[in-house]
This record gives sequence, structure tokens and C-alpha cells, in this order.
Amino acid sequence: MSAYLNGIGWVTGTGCGMGSQGSELIFADLPLPALARRDVFAEPNQRFGRMSDYAKLGLAALAFALRDAGLESWSEKRPFGVVAGTRLGCLATDLDYQRTVLLEGGGLASPNLFAYTLANCFLGDAAIQFGLTGSLLAVNETQSAGLGALTMALDQLALKEEPVVLAGVCDLTPPEPLAGVAQFHPGAAFLVLGDAPGQRCYGSVSVAADGGIECNGTRVESMAELIAAALKER
Amino acid sequence: MIEVCITAAQTVTGLGTGLDPLFDGIMAGQSAVVPVERFATARYLSPNACCVPGVEAGGDSLLYPLLERLMEDFPAVPADCRLLLASTKGPVDLMERLQRGEAVDPAELAMERVLSRVAGRCGTTGPALNVNAACASSTLALARAAQMIALGRCEAALVVCLDLVSEFVFSGFSALQALSPTRCRPFDRNRDGLTLGEGGAALLLMSRERARREECKVLGVVAGWGAANDATHITAPARDACGLIQTVRQALARAGLTTDAIAAVSAHGTATPYNDQMEVTALRALFPGRNLPVHSVKGAIGHTLGAAGGIEAALALKCLEVGVLPPTVGLVEPDPEGVGLVSDAAQDINGDFVLSTNSGFGGVNAAVILGRGDA
Repeated sequence: MSAYLNGIGWVTGTGCGMGSQGSELIFADLPLPALARRDVFAEPNQRFGRMSDYAKLGLAALAFALRDAGLESWSEKRPFGVVAGTRLGCLATDLDYQRTVLLEGGGLASPNLFAYTLANCFLGDAAIQFGLTGSLLAVNETQSAGLGALTMALDQLALKEEPVVLAGVCDLTPPEPLAGVAQFHPGAAFLVLGDAPGQRCYGSVSVAADGGIECNGTRVESMAELIAAALKER
Repeated sequence: MIEVCITAAQTVTGLGTGLDPLFDGIMAGQSAVVPVERFATARYLSPNACCVPGVEAGGDSLLYPLLERLMEDFPAVPADCRLLLASTKGPVDLMERLQRGEAVDPAELAMERVLSRVAGRCGTTGPALNVNAACASSTLALARAAQMIALGRCEAALVVCLDLVSEFVFSGFSALQALSPTRCRPFDRNRDGLTLGEGGAALLLMSRERARREECKVLGVVAGWGAANDATHITAPARDACGLIQTVRQALARAGLTTDAIAAVSAHGTATPYNDQMEVTALRALFPGRNLPVHSVKGAIGHTLGAAGGIEAALALKCLEVGVLPPTVGLVEPDPEGVGLVSDAAQDINGDFVLSTNSGFGGVNAAVILGRGDA
């Protein structure tokens, strides 16, 4: 079971990037950039400023991935799917929202923040921004963050549920209570996977017989390794 | 494609533990909606929700005693079974306590910890995933579990669905003006919002061959599934029901069925004005000229969020077995568009397939088509 890797985009401690720009290192133990609308979109975007940091991060990485694949622009909605792997999801937003609940017996709870207290909410923003009407979901994994999401995406392609599925990871820097507990490099990165090669194809991603993931024939254990293998091929 | 069977199903809701109390309770028109005692509700739109009675947290999250109750009489799960959890907020009560300054291990907030504990209790050892697709989480978890079996990626998968009534979520829906001040009235012309609930469901899925080898009775089959996004709004459904219509068509195509084969519908039916209107629009478009039986369980057990689809799918198996779709509790006067579909009385199921759908924040829609099991 394999798919073509037609685009790569990311926002990590090394900055914002796309596969076509190349990079030696994507994920690093560095603070994430504070994203402004102009870092991601050339045109004004009324929603971006109101989004949570988690949603901005995920939406930006999806934007760069679609741009890299030449699929950012659209005129009709498209049945593309997204599977986003995440360790902590929107926990930072949850904590921010909960602080508003503690005031005035909950009377000042923020409806705007509440709308972002689901790990999949940035996918709703992505659906609106990019016209995506496939299956969009977030998954928390126990092993190899991101690769479970990737396998699920490959399954969707294999069943021909969608012609294009984006798979990746999205995590902010762990918020204070979990800073010492959850250890991983924060950031978001998404791959554009398709059932046909795109204008900028980085090769193929496949599921091996034992369930492991391979990129261009190289076995990978993480999303970072997968992207490195894809960019090396290029 | 490998056929996907359901060999065990269990629920815990405000109406009790097990499918029989749930089915019998709804048939009798019972509702588990009561005043919330867990937190003060004076500043919120509603004082009511459906909590599972008698569940004590001790020093832990309420999620775990709820899980314990759910799995108490559940048959042994094959160790090679994949685990898919469906929970939108997991141990949200622990986060509330941490924020209030109580001593809570922060590591317990991470969903991977929850997954490890659920896997430990259920006896699964392989990779596990929590599916988060808002209120469609468990329907999508069911779909993805079926997908894995259908493709031969695994022979068995356990889908566990759990969500709590918490002040966190209660305050949010209140702030969004989405709570009914009294008790929700799905598909009623005077519906005025949802009522929150908590609960859980566990469904064991196997390939037909694995079920035969394990000598398990087949309660039903997952004949088809679908999912699609409205791409319209973050917290409101598309008025034209484009996402739900696409979802159901996808599920029918996967099942190789036409709409004529669907005998009844377990709808999301939250009782918010927009959701129910959207669903009726979808059903009228999908089943033109047909008044097939439709119901919602939310008036009886509340909206159990990420657990809703799992509970509703488990109940649908029972409905297929009995051949009856229970009444929509809380419904008094059907919305004019829903007349002939929904009822405050039980309706006969004349056929072999039930369609179960859910929709949620982020524009998510998901559906499964469940087929009749062994006689």
C-alpha cells in the first residue's frame, strides 16, 4: 500500500518551510515562531487573528504543504482528507479557556476560546480556508507520533475514500504543567499524499508488510525521519 | 474487502449499565436528565445534565470508574486487538482540579497516558489511537477500526468511547447559547438547545473469519462508513447539509447499498435549532418520498459528545435485533419538516440495515451503516 508524496510543509523551531525550499533540519529544540497572518497568507484573513496558537500552527503547516504541492488555490471544494497526529492536542488552549471559567462562577467563559478546545478544530479552519470536504480528524497516539496518522491516511487512499489525504503532526511547546513531563520537539509538519504523482513529487510513502513506514524504500521511525528521507531523495 | 463484524457491545449511560436498561428505558420514555450536583450551575443557561449515577472519582478522574463500569461484564478482548479510543476531552475533570490548585499529576492530562490506562484495563497490547473528531469521534473511530480490519491490517479492534459531564464543557456550550434551559427536545418544533450527558460504549470488531475462529456470536456487521466535512463553519452545520449528504452517500457506496436498504436512522439529533434542521434537510434529500423511522437518544441520555456515536451504534444493534426503533424522548410536537420521520412512539424496523450519523464542531460529519447479525 503506497502513495505519492506530493508536498511537504512545516512550522517548527527552525521556522516556516516547504519541501521545495529544502532543509537540513526540520524539527529542533527551539522555540516556535510567533505566527502572524502575513507569515502564512499574503491576503488579509479575518479568521487567523482570532485562532488559538495551536490552530494557527496547524493551519499554517497545512497551508505550506498544500502550497508546496501546488494545491493551495481552489475554486470548487475538494474531497481531500486530513489526519493530524498530536501528542497534547489543544491542551494549552484548554488551560487558557479553563482560566476564563474560573472567573465569576463561569459567567465569563469565552465562547471563542471554547470553540478551539478540540484537537480537531484547526482542521475545520483548514476545511474552510482550503475547501476540503474529506474526512478530517486528529489522533493521539501511543507510539511514533505521526506515523499512526500517516498509516490511517494511507488506508484512506487505499480504500479510495479520497484522492488526496494530508497527514502529519501538530503540537505546541508543552504548557507549563507538562513542560517537564512531555518531551518532544514542538511544531507542525504535513505531507500531501496522493494516488497520482503531483507536479512536485518527492517519491513514495508506503506501509511495509510488518506495518512499518517506508519513504522511498528507507525505513523511518518518525515524521522527522520521513521528511529527511524525502528531501534527501530530492 | 474483508467483512467486519461486531461481536460484543456494551454501554454505560445515565439510564444504567448495559444495552437492556438503555433500550428498555428509552422504550419506556425515561430520561436521565437531572440537576447537576458536580458543580454550581447558577451562572449557566441550564441546571441540568445526564450524569451516570453512583460513579465516584476518589482521587482519580471519573473517566476510570466509568471505564471500569463499562468493561465489568465485557467479554475478554484478544490481546492482539487494536485499540481505538474516542474521547473529546478525556480526564477533563483532572485539568479542572489542577487549575483550581489541587494536587494532580500533570502527566495524567496527556491523552497518551489515558490510552495506556485504557489499554491496560482492556487487555490490549498493540498500538492505540485516540480519535478526535468532536461529536463524531466515536463514529469515526468505528469507521477507522472497520477500515483497518477491511484492509487486513488487523483481525480485531476494540473501540472504546468515553466522555464526562464537566464544568469545562458545560460552561462552553452555555457561553455559546447552545444549552436547553430545561431538557432537550430533539426534532421538536420548539426545541431550544442540547442537554449534556456522559457515558461510554465499548464495541469489539472482528473479521468474519476471526469471529468464527473465536466462536463469537456476531451481533451485527459494519457494512459501510463515510465521513465528510462541511467546509462551511467552525461551530455550526451547513444549512444545505452538504457534508452529511456526502457522508451518507459515501457510506452507502462502501456498503454497496441503495437508500432503499436503509430501514431506520439513528440521527445525531442534538436538539439545537440548526443541527436538527440540517439533519432533516439531509434525510429529505437522501430519502425523497420516504418516511423512514428516525430517532435521537439525546432526550433520554443527553449529548455524550465523543461517546455519542458509540452508544448509538451499540443501541442500533439492539434495535436491529428486536426490530424496533425506540421513541425520541423529549419530542412533543415534531418540526413540520420532520413529521413522518421522528416520533414520540416506538417505530417498527422493516429491514436489515440501520444508518447511524453524527456531526460536530469543525464541520465534521460521520456515518456508519450497521447490518443485522446472527439470528
